[in-house]
Amino acid sequence: MSFKDIDEIIKERKDNLLLPMLQAIQARFEYISEANAHYLSRKTGIPFSKIYGVITFYEMLYTEPKGKYIIRICNSPSCYLNGSLNLIKFLESSLKIKSGETTKNRKFSLEVVSCIGCCDKAPAMIINNKVYGNLTEKKIRTIILGLK
Amino acid sequence: MKILQNSNFMALSKTAGMKPEEIIELIKKSGLTGRGGACFPTGLKLEFTRNSQGEKYVIANADEGEPGTFKDKLILEKNPNNVIEGMIIAGYAIGANKGYLYLRGEYSYLKNKLQKVINNAKKIADKLKIYFDIEIISGAGAYICGDETAIIESVEGNRGNPRLKPPFPANHGLFNKPTLINNVETLANLPLIILDKNWNNNLRLFSLSGNVTKPDVYELELGASLKKLISFGKPKNKIKAIYFGCSGGCLPYEDITLNNEAVKEKGAMLGSCAIIAVDEKHDIVDVATNIAKFFEYESCGKCTPCREGTMRVLELLEKISLKKAANEDLELLEELCRVISATSLCGLGQSSTNHLITALKYFRNEFTDKLK
Repeated sequence: MSFKDIDEIIKERKDNLLLPMLQAIQARFEYISEANAHYLSRKTGIPFSKIYGVITFYEMLYTEPKGKYIIRICNSPSCYLNGSLNLIKFLESSLKIKSGETTKNRKFSLEVVSCIGCCDKAPAMIINNKVYGNLTEKKIRTIILGLK
Repeated sequence: MKILQNSNFMALSKTAGMKPEEIIELIKKSGLTGRGGACFPTGLKLEFTRNSQGEKYVIANADEGEPGTFKDKLILEKNPNNVIEGMIIAGYAIGANKGYLYLRGEYSYLKNKLQKVINNAKKIADKLKIYFDIEIISGAGAYICGDETAIIESVEGNRGNPRLKPPFPANHGLFNKPTLINNVETLANLPLIILDKNWNNNLRLFSLSGNVTKPDVYELELGASLKKLISFGKPKNKIKAIYFGCSGGCLPYEDITLNNEAVKEKGAMLGSCAIIAVDEKHDIVDVATNIAKFFEYESCGKCTPCREGTMRVLELLEKISLKKAANEDLELLEELCRVISATSLCGLGQSSTNHLITALKYFRNEFTDKLK
């Protein structure tokens, strides 16, 4: 495995800010592997324990591979009051996974999340940076089928 | 909406000809208070930070995470210019050369557009000989990072655990340097104050959602009636309760005045002006359980009352829902709510049980009906 990309990420971040470096590593490798975290630790002098602590603190940093499409469906009050629970069940049964899991073909990961600020389109979800609102089972089916 | 009027860097040009002290005086006179929910006078915050010694920073808090609040997203989408211009004006006023815009991870789709606005603003500011750099730092999905000291920790590269205050960020903030942290809506107002002598301090953005058919952001004056706001939302069914986000508590739906004092008198908090309407088809215990799950999940784990307490609150609520709870459980729940509120380290924990304290005050029968 080559650490050239990580060297570059460290070089670009002269102020050594950890969060943007971790985000850059994840953008490049899709998740932050133990080997990459160790390498980052050796090169920056930031203790590995701290790096691991930070990765696991934030919901959007991963220590293992996720699906190509990460579905984040909101279950905070505004979405909940508009039927998000049924939609979560529908997603779980359609994808045959539970919240927090990834499909075997690594196409989808499902996350039930806190408010995504789309209460005006409740119930809503975000898939890889795109918002889908006013969801129904029918709409979700079309969206999922449309993702290649 | 007033807040969406693009100031187009006119305010920045004007401030370039003013002394920083004059700008701070103008903001103080305007009466502007923080729009993130804590309502601290912005002019004073500027002054405290200006009077601190050393290198300084500005942080724009775009980590809008309070459930039911989506006004900052509207501003960032429709009028990002004012936010960036506001940051530069604030930086000039306190004597800072560097600012961070902490954008919540869930709003990453706004990043490219914001970067373009920043690049353009930099050119204009340079011409005015105001040197200020802004960098966007993306959050990574943690509600707690809306707390000002947790943002600082997060930008510094730590877990987003809040700090004890004092010291306040105005003295010891980012990298232990004086730091001004303001909410998006607060910053967006700065250029408007500079340009408009008749700027109205009472205008607020109300995020209305829940059981309404027209959820949206409505700009109203403080003191407006709740009935009027709800009528804009066109609810299909009869509204039973309203929640001020997850942390502001709930009230039975009646015509109350929407201002801090009136809401506080009833035991709730207006906060960031999020109004979630709940209709009579919904059970308050179910809503309470949903909110308790939110806090249990989002508690950062630093202090014991919040970390353990939010978990126990959820357990007790689930016990009530399953009709396995007795009256002692309800009493225990009430005591726990008070302890968490009184002893938690930061605003998240302290306000995490407001929804239950108010629900038990106004909708107690819905809880007692489920006791065994």
